[in-house]
Amino acid sequence: MPRRRLPEWFLLLLPAIIVIAAVVLIPLIFSLYSSFTPYKLTRPSTLWKWIGTYNYEKILTDAKFWAAFGRTVLFLTIALNLEMLLGLGIALMVNKVTWGQRTLRTILMFPMMFSPILVGFQFKFIFNDNIGLVNNALQSMGFNVALPWLVDGKLAMFSIAFAEIWMSTSVFAILILAGLFAMPRDPLEAAKVDGCTPWQSFRHITLPFLMPFIYIAMTIRSLDVARAYDIVQIMTGGGPARRTELLWTLMSRTGYVDARMGLANAMGYVSILLSIFFTVYFFRKLSAARAEIGMGS
Amino acid sequence: MDRNQTHRNRRRALKVLHFSALFLTMAVICIPGLWIVLNSFRPTVEIMAKPPVWTPSFTLDHYRAMFGGAGEGGVPVFSYFRNSLIVSVVSTFIAILIGMSGGYAFARYRFKGKSGYFVGLMLFRAVPGVALSLPLFIVFAKVGIIDTHLGLILVYVAMNVPFTIWLTDGFFRQIPKELHEAAEIDGCTRWQAFWKVEFPVAKSGVASAAIFAFLTSWNEFALASQLTRSVGSKTMPVGLLDFTAEFTINWGGMCALAVLMIIPALILTFLVQKHLIAGLTFGGVKG
Amino acid sequence: MTEVTLSNVVKKYGAHQAVHGIDLDIADGEFVVLVGPSGCGKSTTLRMIAGLEDISGGEVSIGGRVVNDLPPRERNISMVFQNYALYPHMTVRENLGFSLHIAKQDPDQIKIAVDDAAAILGLDELMDRKPAELSGGQRQRVAMGRAIVRHPDVFLFDEPLSNLDAKLRTQMRAEIKKLHQRIGNTIIYVTHDQVEAMTLADRIVLMRDGHIVQVGTPLELFNTPVDTFVASFIGSPPMNLVDGTVNGANLTLTDGTILPIPLTARGLLHDGQAIHFGFRADNLMPIGHAVDEEGEIITLDLTVTLTEPLGTETVLFTEFGGAEVQAKMFNPRPVIPGEAMKFQMVLDKCHVFDAKTGKAIRS
Repeated sequence: MPRRRLPEWFLLLLPAIIVIAAVVLIPLIFSLYSSFTPYKLTRPSTLWKWIGTYNYEKILTDAKFWAAFGRTVLFLTIALNLEMLLGLGIALMVNKVTWGQRTLRTILMFPMMFSPILVGFQFKFIFNDNIGLVNNALQSMGFNVALPWLVDGKLAMFSIAFAEIWMSTSVFAILILAGLFAMPRDPLEAAKVDGCTPWQSFRHITLPFLMPFIYIAMTIRSLDVARAYDIVQIMTGGGPARRTELLWTLMSRTGYVDARMGLANAMGYVSILLSIFFTVYFFRKLSAARAEIGMGS
Repeated sequence: MDRNQTHRNRRRALKVLHFSALFLTMAVICIPGLWIVLNSFRPTVEIMAKPPVWTPSFTLDHYRAMFGGAGEGGVPVFSYFRNSLIVSVVSTFIAILIGMSGGYAFARYRFKGKSGYFVGLMLFRAVPGVALSLPLFIVFAKVGIIDTHLGLILVYVAMNVPFTIWLTDGFFRQIPKELHEAAEIDGCTRWQAFWKVEFPVAKSGVASAAIFAFLTSWNEFALASQLTRSVGSKTMPVGLLDFTAEFTINWGGMCALAVLMIIPALILTFLVQKHLIAGLTFGGVKG
Repeated sequence: MTEVTLSNVVKKYGAHQAVHGIDLDIADGEFVVLVGPSGCGKSTTLRMIAGLEDISGGEVSIGGRVVNDLPPRERNISMVFQNYALYPHMTVRENLGFSLHIAKQDPDQIKIAVDDAAAILGLDELMDRKPAELSGGQRQRVAMGRAIVRHPDVFLFDEPLSNLDAKLRTQMRAEIKKLHQRIGNTIIYVTHDQVEAMTLADRIVLMRDGHIVQVGTPLELFNTPVDTFVASFIGSPPMNLVDGTVNGANLTLTDGTILPIPLTARGLLHDGQAIHFGFRADNLMPIGHAVDEEGEIITLDLTVTLTEPLGTETVLFTEFGGAEVQAKMFNPRPVIPGEAMKFQMVLDKCHVFDAKTGKAIRS
């Protein structure tokens, strides 16, 4: 009997599918299963006890979880939007520059090479209330204060957001800048002649053209939203007193410190759904924006 | 004449504003990194000094201690560096091979549910490292590859494949189809046509995809911190934690290790920055 | 009244000077074509008028108002770009109405204006399409429609036809001319194609290396070029130029041919002066296949080397005065290369240029 050959494209994709299945899919299935058990690392036998949706019910009724969840969504929304706006602003500024554009672009890429954990340490150092750069500078300028940047709940959240935005704005700036370079000049000039003020040209011509690039940046960013975990883990560890607790730090504490793997995996699934939501949302927006300016394939 | 004058003035004001804003932005981007570099060369006493010392003195103490071996609170930097290098290089190499094959499939073949496959693969990249580390920790412990290079390499390959596919897909699509058709008419098999014609043309793009994968592995922390335990497998991002004790942090030493971490990343990124941007945008924009 | 005046307009890019102090007066309702080889500064000049390039020196005024530092939106102009510059994310209707929308006009009025323009250019069927779905000619029409919707004081065209194929170009050329006759606005039109310049312009401004070489009606440029550059740029085929020297009352060409000095240059030459002798192809015709000419006619025996039949006429290549020249044969009959023919030339319509300066010598 002649064996039906697999199509070439499938053979080419096969290694990717295998490795992802082995390293990501299988553990995920396992964690899905364990999220329906009271699994504790310290008592392996608990893995075989089925408790249904108990873990999910538990986290869904847990105020601490909801606080962390809400904070995470809020944090992401604010951070992503600010990164986008700042990136857009920076890209427009660099685009206007007539000298040393390459140098500026290179500087822009600087934060992209930093490991998130390094960014965490860096800002933990800079925002240190005793020897940090910020407080030292404030004191040397005559303000006799030692602001508790990482201890006060609000200031700590600000510091974390600052670190996150410092790290990720570059991605937006670089990609939007690439969009600006790729933009045909003619329509902009036509708009000028058609009577647009600079703001109107930006609003009606530049921005629609940049939208796909903005969404690419958003998509790339949303693939990796959870790397904020590294920063938070280092800067505050979710503290003080859970005031900077995000979904990811809560999960890691529940899993590794309290050893309650089943519960942690249930939280993990919520965080996975959240990431997937962000990614799919921006992918959709990306295709829509592409179609809008006639770039679709 | 009046209106001409107002427009001229406004333009001048905008120029000044533009320049100052740009300067401020660049300062905010550069200062944190420079601060780290600067402090890696300052003696601990000076870092801790109150009131702050603004005229830095220069010392190589932290580097000496760091490379001085495990004694005197030194951190086994060489081992960490070696681990990082092995894990990153090997995982990048494998991820590129696998990702390139996948990217080629997306760029050159038409098949049903293509965009579905694509988004599906990307979604696996979106799984947060922490969330993945929990089950991986258990699975790897069972299989016995926890705390080994192999385990970490496997994870990083899986992590880097989706994004490599995204990038290489874009690069291959930039190459006209006629190129491999011409090569096949000239007598190449499809396999030869790829390696002799399409790959060399896409080489710079593939190189930048490799840099991206390398940086991801080089900088990754969430998974590495759970899957490695000993000096034999800990990578540098995990090693940074060695400088923190219960209540104190050896800032100077940490800054020195940070500098060591950044330098390779810095060099690699600058080498390929142009292709990197081209790849990201092209893959994304031309659906 | 919307006349456009340039006085001593200069454009510098760093040390490089692209436009060297141009003076030009364009009357209200005039169709002026700036023409010249690429890099001659014609587009730069147009863009300075539009406000898309800064003016490095001199003054540009539109309708008697100096506009040097005004942004384009305050100049009341509209422009058609070489690459159409349509807004890719808008439909044809939105493209056409965009400038009015920006000016916050009443939507009903916008609709009327847009429909008007669409009717003039035959775009009614395409209103809901996006630029990517249009052919080159259709895009060109939309670009023109966008320009006329606003009823600007001045129309600027920047090589609008250079991306179209030959047939479409001829057709659009006629449409542009009709458009001008219909609305009668001032038009400044840039092209590198002398045929477009000849067919469209009330007045041609021929530029080279950032200078204006000659300004005049198409026929003035054709009949009385100020130098060899104009002579060879305007007209197809270009004017034949043959080297020679002045020898008393005659000209001696490179190969020894002796001709009397044409009437217009008599008395302006000195013995031994090096010159170029110029004449158009339609001033060298085989006897029996010529159009009637008056004036001082000389006859020549020449051998045809190549023929290019065009239907109503045939271009003949031949050797004259030591150079390859082109002649025209009307009511053509088949000619075999190598055939010797008798040609006639009207001496009064020939030109003499100084060999050193290239300038025409003419009274």
